[in-house]
Amino acid sequence: MSVPENTEVLGKEVPLARLDKELRLLWEADEASTNASLMNFAIYAEDSAALARNSQIVSEITREHACRAILIGIDKEKPTQDTKAWITAHCNLSNGQKSVCCEQLAFHLTGKVRGRMRHTVFSHLNSDLPLVFWWQGELSEIFDAPFYSILDRLVIDSVDWVNTGESYAKLAEALKTDLVIQDLAWTRTFHYRLSIAALFDDLLAQQNFKDIESIRIEHQPVHRVTGLLMLAWLAVQSDWSLVDVDFDTVTLKSGNKRIVANLVEKSDAAPLSLVEIASPNMRASVSREKGSKYLTQKLSVNEHKMERIAPADSDLVSELVTDQLSRGGKNSLFRKVLPMLLELLG
Amino acid sequence: MLDHKNLHMSNPFREDLVARSRPESCTVVIFGATGDLTHRKLVPAIYNLKLDGELPPDVKIIGFARREKSDEEFREGLEELNKQVSRGGHDETLWTDFAPSISYHQSTFTDIEGYQSLAKTLDKIDEERGGKGNRLFYVASAPEFFDDILENLKKAGLNESAEGCWSRVIVEKPFGTDLPTAQHLNQVVNETFEEKDTYRIDHYLGKETAQNIMVLRFANSIFEPLWNNRYIEQVQITCAEHLGMEGGRGGYYDKSGALRDMVQNHLLQLLSLVAMEPPTDLSADGVRDEKVKVIRSLRQYDTPELVRENVVRGQYTEGFVGGQKVAGYREEDRVNPESQTEAYVALKIQIDTWRWSGVPFFMRVGKRLPKKATEISIHFKEAPNVLFNALPGATPGGNVLVIRIQPDEGISLRMVSKLPGTSLRLEPVKMDFHYATSFGKGSPEAYERLLLDAMAGDATLFARRDEVEEAWKFVDHIENAWHKSENPPEMAEFEAGSWGPKEADELLGDYKWRRL
Repeated sequence: MSVPENTEVLGKEVPLARLDKELRLLWEADEASTNASLMNFAIYAEDSAALARNSQIVSEITREHACRAILIGIDKEKPTQDTKAWITAHCNLSNGQKSVCCEQLAFHLTGKVRGRMRHTVFSHLNSDLPLVFWWQGELSEIFDAPFYSILDRLVIDSVDWVNTGESYAKLAEALKTDLVIQDLAWTRTFHYRLSIAALFDDLLAQQNFKDIESIRIEHQPVHRVTGLLMLAWLAVQSDWSLVDVDFDTVTLKSGNKRIVANLVEKSDAAPLSLVEIASPNMRASVSREKGSKYLTQKLSVNEHKMERIAPADSDLVSELVTDQLSRGGKNSLFRKVLPMLLELLG
Repeated sequence: MLDHKNLHMSNPFREDLVARSRPESCTVVIFGATGDLTHRKLVPAIYNLKLDGELPPDVKIIGFARREKSDEEFREGLEELNKQVSRGGHDETLWTDFAPSISYHQSTFTDIEGYQSLAKTLDKIDEERGGKGNRLFYVASAPEFFDDILENLKKAGLNESAEGCWSRVIVEKPFGTDLPTAQHLNQVVNETFEEKDTYRIDHYLGKETAQNIMVLRFANSIFEPLWNNRYIEQVQITCAEHLGMEGGRGGYYDKSGALRDMVQNHLLQLLSLVAMEPPTDLSADGVRDEKVKVIRSLRQYDTPELVRENVVRGQYTEGFVGGQKVAGYREEDRVNPESQTEAYVALKIQIDTWRWSGVPFFMRVGKRLPKKATEISIHFKEAPNVLFNALPGATPGGNVLVIRIQPDEGISLRMVSKLPGTSLRLEPVKMDFHYATSFGKGSPEAYERLLLDAMAGDATLFARRDEVEEAWKFVDHIENAWHKSENPPEMAEFEAGSWGPKEADELLGDYKWRRL
């Protein structure tokens, strides 16, 4: 773990004891700007170097979501306990006129951090506003019940996890609370799901739904969990139950009928490059070329053929988070799909 | 082919995806397709829905109009305007995918053969779509063609839908020019389409802040206990327009006037949202039942004397707007030099209900005012004149809640605060919420939301027959006093670029119009 680099992007380093005072001075010095905030938005990484990178991400997200941003970089390996803090503001022109600014507090903590997270970092939350907490990387021992009881919304990206099954198991307890969990891997499937639903608005496709016998999902190797979430959603919505998982081949059933799903790794492709659903007379697919802004929807039922394009989800995490924050809600569909995902993960 | 015995299927993948009624695939037929509304609002709205991934699949658009045009020419004209006005920008790839869904159908509105050939075109589209034949007819033509269009739709059987499908009509304003014509139009519409399939569009109701009025009132517990005559002193609704009669609009406007053009529809709709009782549910009829009760409870000004006391009409004279010298109303293009049409109207409205008894609602709307702004301000009663308010010089006024509809959509609350210092001085301060600042993402255009609602069968944000007719009843009394009485109330004058005639200020008595 390294000492934070490029700290100039984090703004002015301030002593912890003067943090609130320095924040006030920041605004008093600039009367032309509006300080706007609808939420506390924290980004946590057990990687000191992430602070500068996340400051850039906050700058992008605050164009659409006014917040008090709190960046947290942790170096647990250091033997000494130390805390450093920086403050700055990200300003954007609203309607080309008013400069709307969001304040950012950055903390770098070394050594044992559990207590300081609660007493030092969380004491700087903007009161009465919800806390959206983006945890980057694997869930560590810091993610425990007292910790997540403070959060209103947890953003994770399970694509970053090495041991997806174990990390998801850690979320299981948190899911028993009111905490809203938003996995960016799930967000990446959003427009795919809309597109598949759109294909099955076609009555001929609906008529062939009961005869579905195979599914093919193509994904980048690192996006296996995205493919599994997609499959879990298809299975849950279709009321299919799981029979067997043989890594890349999943067998599901609907009544007495078997449905075979294949997950295929494609390296030089979009994170999720194809979802194809087939029955003897129908082939419905949604695909995406690498880097494309659009999905291609195709439906073929006997002679009935259709092809059109629809928006795709972004490849940039900052845009995925922005989209997810715009959608809000309780993410109940994700909760509904999660048990099937855990089954698929074994 | 489609097995029609199994038509009652559903799409399991649609469940739980979005928290609102689901818009369904359909063909949108726009009557008056060569007009400004189609090019500037309707087609860009549908394009932006596609851009956002909100448009149901397989939506087709057929432009129906008199002029000779090929599909290609029609698309080119639409593309040109879309590049200029599209909220989300214009993307060539997306337009290339979108454009083939647009076609043009040349016919006069009175020629039944044009409708019969339209029916064949629609049947063909339905066949290609797999039998699903939802149709959305958008009547955006000049109002004199409404009857012909609706009657010919019926004659061609286009008002009827196949089993499991729907056929709906959206009617643009004006819904008549007075109560008898509105009743006639409603009768013609309802002889063709059932009321549940009739969508009278008022784009003000599609605006984000207008939709937010109900949320503000009924999702926040702090406002509703105060939302009555015990705490509210007066309410003001302002719809100011800096434009005059540019672009030849004087021809239409001079026949209509501010009262019929704006008050009968947009402003009374806003008033009803502000003054309605909580609906029993959020269904279209649940909400509209409560809105119509407000309109029905408006005190009627059924004599010229009552109109004179409570309504001011005016025309602007030459003046300056935005630093530019502008002509007076009667000197405007296509306006009768002896016109008796009001370009400004101010009203003092009383709602005779338990909740609002004694609370005046002031409304003003006009052209050539200093700026473009639409807002509702709720003026609360001042705190008792003891303690701080009894201090010498302490007259900061009551709380004011302002709901800005356009252009800077948002909500603000004026409160009283102590000025910093050793002495006790009070000043008003403002808490301000701007949609654009708080939610960086631009709000969808009103037409986007309303078109999607019509595709989903949700009529909550559309006017119902009885709402329209009750509003005309109120407005007709005033029009009759102005134009049919022997001793009509005078036409006031104001300089273009000012906030209206002095008579409108006098209408408020001890109150003042809120400064915008």
